[in-house]
Amino acid sequence: MLLALFQWLGQDIRAFNVFNYITLRAVLATMTSLVITFVVGPAMIRWLTAMKIGQAVRDDGPQTHLTKAGTPTMGGALILVSIAVTTLLWSELRNPYVWVVLATTLGFGVVGWVDDYRKVVHKNPKGLSAKEKYFWLSLIGGGVALYLGLSANLPAQTELIVPFFKSVKYPLGAIGFMILSYFVIVGTSNAVNLTDGLDGLAIMPTVMVAGALSIFAYATGHFYFSHYLGIPFIPGAGELTVFCAAIVGAGLGFLWFNAYPAEVFMGDVGALALGAALGVVAVIVRQEIVLFIMGGVFVVETLSVMLQVGSFKLTGKRIFRMAPLHHHFELKGWKETQVVVRFWIITMMLVLFGLSTLKLR
Amino acid sequence: MSEIRKNRGMEALGETNVSACANVMATPSAAMRFWIITMMLVLFGLSTLKLR
Repeated sequence: MLLALFQWLGQDIRAFNVFNYITLRAVLATMTSLVITFVVGPAMIRWLTAMKIGQAVRDDGPQTHLTKAGTPTMGGALILVSIAVTTLLWSELRNPYVWVVLATTLGFGVVGWVDDYRKVVHKNPKGLSAKEKYFWLSLIGGGVALYLGLSANLPAQTELIVPFFKSVKYPLGAIGFMILSYFVIVGTSNAVNLTDGLDGLAIMPTVMVAGALSIFAYATGHFYFSHYLGIPFIPGAGELTVFCAAIVGAGLGFLWFNAYPAEVFMGDVGALALGAALGVVAVIVRQEIVLFIMGGVFVVETLSVMLQVGSFKLTGKRIFRMAPLHHHFELKGWKETQVVVRFWIITMMLVLFGLSTLKLR
Repeated sequence: MSEIRKNRGMEALGETNVSACANVMATPSAAMRFWIITMMLVLFGLSTLKLR
């Protein structure tokens, strides 16, 4: 919206043309979403507390978590409002990718919100049933994959890019692209949701991965940079830099309140939405494998659950003391903050490794 | 801690982090909030590369 205003003003006053630069709008988007989160956050936490929208803590989890019972949850709504408002303010709204990522994020957020609402407000511990939840997530994820597949008009938009190899690209075709995109979007969404079990554990890796994806989006949407770096050029993808920057600002603002000891949890409304946001951006900028690398913490957390469940069903034995993996380390004696910060450090290294694929190919 | 809170003079505040902790912010919260401020300042600093 503001971009349209500044472009109109720029016809008479040239100084306003500076807002056409994606980089400037990305910086402003980060600041805007951070400020929105800071301003709205305290009021929202007070409201959630007054409405008694508090987290129920699983009684089979680590004993140290019992003190968290009653902490306000569904704070992810704050992140989503901040991201949506900021993106609408600073993005080029004629760009279809902006609407795709916003719709995906908010769509997954709505599913998470219904799940949280039933659990916390209706006191229904099951929330949405697993079948219902995956039906709606699949419907949205599948719909987005279908749209992206059908609207692709360049070979680069449906090729699987292999990092570290300049000339290795696998044409997936429309069907292959849609299947891969569906799994990346829904899979990342659930992976972030599984990781969201300790104060600050999910949000900071999300911020770091979103920051890295913003660089990928900028380079992918830039004709010269994409050719210089040997990555596909996808017109319009650069605008996702602003969206990713909004995630960074909103995420850091949320971490302010979510840092140990958390004043608010994001809940499924935040975790499912943020995961889907990362997934859909990675799909558009053709960096699914790099997302897999950078989101290694999300991947390992998910694998730990799959292995634990598989092992228990097949052999009756558990591989980890508790799944997801962060609980395993807690039960080994690591303090919650140690687990969180060490997982952040691992993500930082993975993100650096992922970013290195831009140049090392 | 209570002694620090009673005495609001500059000498009681010490470093900003001590002041933050004395004002009922848990140590990890204070540390992470200082990191967030630093991250924003770093972003702001990096933006000077382009904004000139």
